[in-house]
Amino acid sequence: MNELTTVLLYVGAIGLLAIGIAGVLLSRHLFRIVLALSIAESGGNLLLVLTGFRWNAVAPIIEGAAQGTMVDPVPQAMVLTSIVIGVGVQALALAMAVRLRQAYGTLDIREIRARMEQDISDAADVVPPRSQQEPAGGRPLPPPSTAGLLTSKGSQA
Amino acid sequence: MIALAVALPLLGAFLLPLMGPLKRVFGPAVLLAVAALALSVWPQAQAEPFAVAIGEFRAPLGIVFYVDGVAALFTLAVALVCLLLWPWSTPTEDATAKQSLTLILAGACAGLAVSGDLFNIYVFYELVAVASYGLAAGSGSAAGYAAAFRYLVLSSLASMLALIGITLIYYRTGTVNLAHLAQVAPDALHDPLGLAAFLLLLLGLGVKAELFPVNAWVPEVYATAERRVAALLAGLVSKLALLVLVRLLVLVFPLDPARFALLALGTLGILSGELAAYRARDLARMLSWSSIGQLGIAFVAFAIPGKAGVVAGLAVALHHLIAKPALFLLAERWGGSIEGLAGAGRRSKLGGALFVLFALSLVGVPPLPGFWAKLLVLSGLAAQEGGAWWLAAAVILAMTVVEAAYLFRVVGRLYAPDTDDESQPHGAAYLAAAGILGLCLIAGSVSAGPLGHALGRMAAQVGDRDAYIARVLPAGETRP
Repeated sequence: MNELTTVLLYVGAIGLLAIGIAGVLLSRHLFRIVLALSIAESGGNLLLVLTGFRWNAVAPIIEGAAQGTMVDPVPQAMVLTSIVIGVGVQALALAMAVRLRQAYGTLDIREIRARMEQDISDAADVVPPRSQQEPAGGRPLPPPSTAGLLTSKGSQA
Repeated sequence: MIALAVALPLLGAFLLPLMGPLKRVFGPAVLLAVAALALSVWPQAQAEPFAVAIGEFRAPLGIVFYVDGVAALFTLAVALVCLLLWPWSTPTEDATAKQSLTLILAGACAGLAVSGDLFNIYVFYELVAVASYGLAAGSGSAAGYAAAFRYLVLSSLASMLALIGITLIYYRTGTVNLAHLAQVAPDALHDPLGLAAFLLLLLGLGVKAELFPVNAWVPEVYATAERRVAALLAGLVSKLALLVLVRLLVLVFPLDPARFALLALGTLGILSGELAAYRARDLARMLSWSSIGQLGIAFVAFAIPGKAGVVAGLAVALHHLIAKPALFLLAERWGGSIEGLAGAGRRSKLGGALFVLFALSLVGVPPLPGFWAKLLVLSGLAAQEGGAWWLAAAVILAMTVVEAAYLFRVVGRLYAPDTDDESQPHGAAYLAAAGILGLCLIAGSVSAGPLGHALGRMAAQVGDRDAYIARVLPAGETRP
């Protein structure tokens, strides 16, 4: 019974990882990318906790250390650290997504990337290399949404 | 003592906004203190490396810092390079944030240099990452935010892979202390699972070291961030990630497949980096791609087994640590396309001369240190048996030609006859910093002999696995 549950937990952890990584690679929406990162991190953290978990363990602080085995505390400490780092990075990512929305008026990563390449090429004063998929004559990019720029303070258009 | 080199900048970063009138001198003072600390442990570290148990909790349960010659050298380099690239400016709120982030970066980099514990390395690595996201977005332009966001996503995904690698290692061995791992690795980790853990860690740590498949962020971030930040990331941060990978390779995974993975990815990095640099048409992106190529050479060098590989890798890494920040600093005012640089070297005489000096050294023209670094790599590769090594040597030689072609194209434009006075002269601070790095380069080429001996001693320390174990776990403890 416990073995089956353990296997299920491992499958769940690796599944969360796979879902998260696929989400990061396939999503176009900035918020979904951040969300997928968070899911993948949960998978990784679960995997780390599972490495030190024991079914027959007791909490030594309540039962006393003599009562039996305890789960390995080191992975739990590491997971705590990793969770805190993850929260910080996600908050930073969301803050950057807000700034990107203000600057480019979109949350589509591909559009943002195209605009960024354009900006870099403009700043460097060179014509960007033509994409193979691009139709001849180029594809005009939509103008930046002025709504976001006007309502937000401190935007960096 | 050496723990202060990590703690002081981290503490200073949070005290800096409260400093009031002392703000301007506080950050540089902290960095000077770190440099002094590194110098104070220098003689001992060079003679006899030592381990410091934090809070007197001994390894393998406690956290240790391991200080050998290379760790002292890189701690010193962290302090000096951060000082050289310090964001001097009027103390606005924005500048204070950048100074704080630079201090965090310095503290975390020093932590990476001395850390003797896999999980601590992960934490310091994340600290470096978060500080660099902030610095990369610090230019405030929309493209800067876009590049920083893409960098953040790639980097945190890779950090997670590294964490899974650490998980696998912990699952197999029950420890994250590098010395303890080195002790148990031959029994526990030299199998496909251990190799998988190494590859995950390689990909995870390789993001900062601009390893081949995970370096898409490099040209974007370096082109959009301030040149000072690009110099810091390309010059300093990549070297610390490299150092961590070398420690892993020497202590825990001295395996042929691991070396081969490093060799293959490094070779691909050289090929892709140098060829992309050849196609680049603006200076910033050319330098970013060239940086990927240079670090590819360092990866190939570290893949060579034994002391020869470590010496060659250290030489390449140190040379790049000096040359690339200087080139990025010189590119500060030469932002436009390379075509538009016509005659810029005539207008800024010292800038042009320094660019030529560093370009010659990067290509590897004999009296300059770049030549000795490449020579060490090539002779190390030639001493190995097998087609893959010789292929890597051939790639390095061929790509040196490409490197010369694109760098000398820039030099040619710099001194092309042109009358319109478009480009501005360099800022004095940037030019002074690049000049200091240039002096380092010339000093390195004058004292190539003693420098080579010193590098050899440090490499011997890095490569000495048994000594590392004996110094961290003195009583021969095997189990916690």
